[in-house]
Amino acid sequence: MFCSVPGFPRCMEMLCLKDIAPAAQNNINTQFILLDKGRANLEGGQTKTCLALVADETAAVHFQFWGDECDAFKPGDIIRLSNGIFSYNRNSLVLRAGKKGSIEKVGEFTMAYVETPNMSEIKWVPDPNNSRTYVQEAVISAYSRVFPPVL
Amino acid sequence: MAANLLRIATHEAENQLALSLRQAFLLLESNLRPPFPLTIPTSEEYQVLNCAILYGILTQPHHAKTHIKHLHAVVSDGYAFFVNLLVQVTNELLEKLVDSARNQLLWVTGEMVDVSAVGFDALLVSLLRQVVGGDFTDGNLWLCFEVATLFLSKWDSLLEEEPMVLTSGLYAFLRLLADHCRVSSRNSKLEALVRLEIEFCLKMLREQFHLCLKVGRDVIRLLQDLHHMPEFQAVWRDLVLNPTVFGTSGFLGIAQFYSTRTSSRYFLLRIPPMMETHLRFLLTQVKLGGQKRHQAWFASKYLFSPDRETLICDIVRFICCTHHPTKEIIQSDIIPRWAVIGWLLKFCRKNYVEANAKLALFYNWLFFDERADKLMDIEPAVLLMVCSVPKYVEITNSLLEFLFLLVDNYDMEHKEMITRGVLSSFNCLISKGVIHTFDVLTSSGVIFPLLRERLATFLLGMKAGIAKELRPIGPS
Repeated sequence: MFCSVPGFPRCMEMLCLKDIAPAAQNNINTQFILLDKGRANLEGGQTKTCLALVADETAAVHFQFWGDECDAFKPGDIIRLSNGIFSYNRNSLVLRAGKKGSIEKVGEFTMAYVETPNMSEIKWVPDPNNSRTYVQEAVISAYSRVFPPVL
Repeated sequence: MAANLLRIATHEAENQLALSLRQAFLLLESNLRPPFPLTIPTSEEYQVLNCAILYGILTQPHHAKTHIKHLHAVVSDGYAFFVNLLVQVTNELLEKLVDSARNQLLWVTGEMVDVSAVGFDALLVSLLRQVVGGDFTDGNLWLCFEVATLFLSKWDSLLEEEPMVLTSGLYAFLRLLADHCRVSSRNSKLEALVRLEIEFCLKMLREQFHLCLKVGRDVIRLLQDLHHMPEFQAVWRDLVLNPTVFGTSGFLGIAQFYSTRTSSRYFLLRIPPMMETHLRFLLTQVKLGGQKRHQAWFASKYLFSPDRETLICDIVRFICCTHHPTKEIIQSDIIPRWAVIGWLLKFCRKNYVEANAKLALFYNWLFFDERADKLMDIEPAVLLMVCSVPKYVEITNSLLEFLFLLVDNYDMEHKEMITRGVLSSFNCLISKGVIHTFDVLTSSGVIFPLLRERLATFLLGMKAGIAKELRPIGPS
């Protein structure tokens, strides 16, 4: 399933966040709005990282900013991710650009979103029929436990 | 080699409009120097050439005269396509343009006025909208100064070709002047700007009064904000005591302004295009209950710096009089206009800002005439009062109190007219079914007893049929 993004070139297919699953591949092209940003940390004492909550019309997920990405985006920014990866990083499941992918700001404000399901708050297990892919086993939390909804 | 048009932040996607202009320039760069090719371009080639010339003008100030001559030589559509490109650049890119390109944009706009290009009035309106109220940064004040200079220096051409664009200038500069003259720590640049704005507005009021009259009642609302300035005190005196001095036959007094509804496009003049997009998104896509993050982003972008709160009255005017939702939106779970206005009122820190915002909310109530006014202009205020009773009754009380304050004091000379307007508003809101009864306002125990009584007595006037005997307003 692909999300329709007004004004986005049809040549690049956009994945909806609800359809992403953990994988060791840099092949996720999607677009989302940045809802909230945590404080920046130094990962391994070397590179700055920053955990964030992002979402589209179908789902939310935790996103990890890396290096100069941490300061380049603010809540409300609409971000396009090219060749991103959704995988475990120090036991937490995050979406990120990774070394092969990239993110850029394509707009701001004009995007509707949902905060549940949160793809990072789902327990995934290897697919019994295809050990190379993961399937959803259980919902750990409907909403992000790191960035609770603003009521 | 093509010079940069924009300042691009890290991780910011390339802008499609800027990209297409740049590509056109790179494609045709060798043809942009004399001797110019004599072949007649196809319509597609013509458009690409226009894009290339525009990119050249904006990024090569030293060759701008050559580029504009080129444009004058090839133009075959009255500059319509070129001006439309300029409007797009102004709306989408002005904020990001490098300084030299901003200078060039203003210069080429003047050129377009000089040749009476098709659509130059829309270009001037786009520039007016980019001047942000309550923004005292150098870039914004520079733009304001340049646009005001343009309106004054091209006065005769504007008057002859597109006189209505002067009324847009009047609305914008009266409103900006109110912000600019309030700042106590004025520097010499701001002083010069204020003088320019005064000059333009007075020229309009003194020399082209018949045009000012066409803007309608909001001219008076804006003039009121300038009542402390000696230059405008004289205008006030003449409006009240000596209306014939304006030399507009048939003008007998302020009531003529009051009875003319100000067209919705004037309110857009104080809402920059991106803010308009964001407000319309909020009011058509964001659901009630899930609006908190969008509201917080809006506030941090547009309202957080201390002087920006004066924008609230402009936004309230836009929401009441320009953004009229469809029936589908009204019946949906999208956040209603009254809720957004209630939220905006909370940002008013200074008393005069709050009073101006409430006046903006009620302004069309005061002169409402069912035959000429629009129900949707007055709908948000009544819904805000009624819907706030259960949880935010202090809003209901303060709005109701303010409404009666307006009836009694806004303009004592026209108290009868205003009473009639407010009664007509209540009458119309009931008869058109916006609300079914005023019981919640007249009998709720949480409303101040004095206000409840006042409203009940006031509404008796409606029942007695006063509102139905609508007499013609204005000169008789």
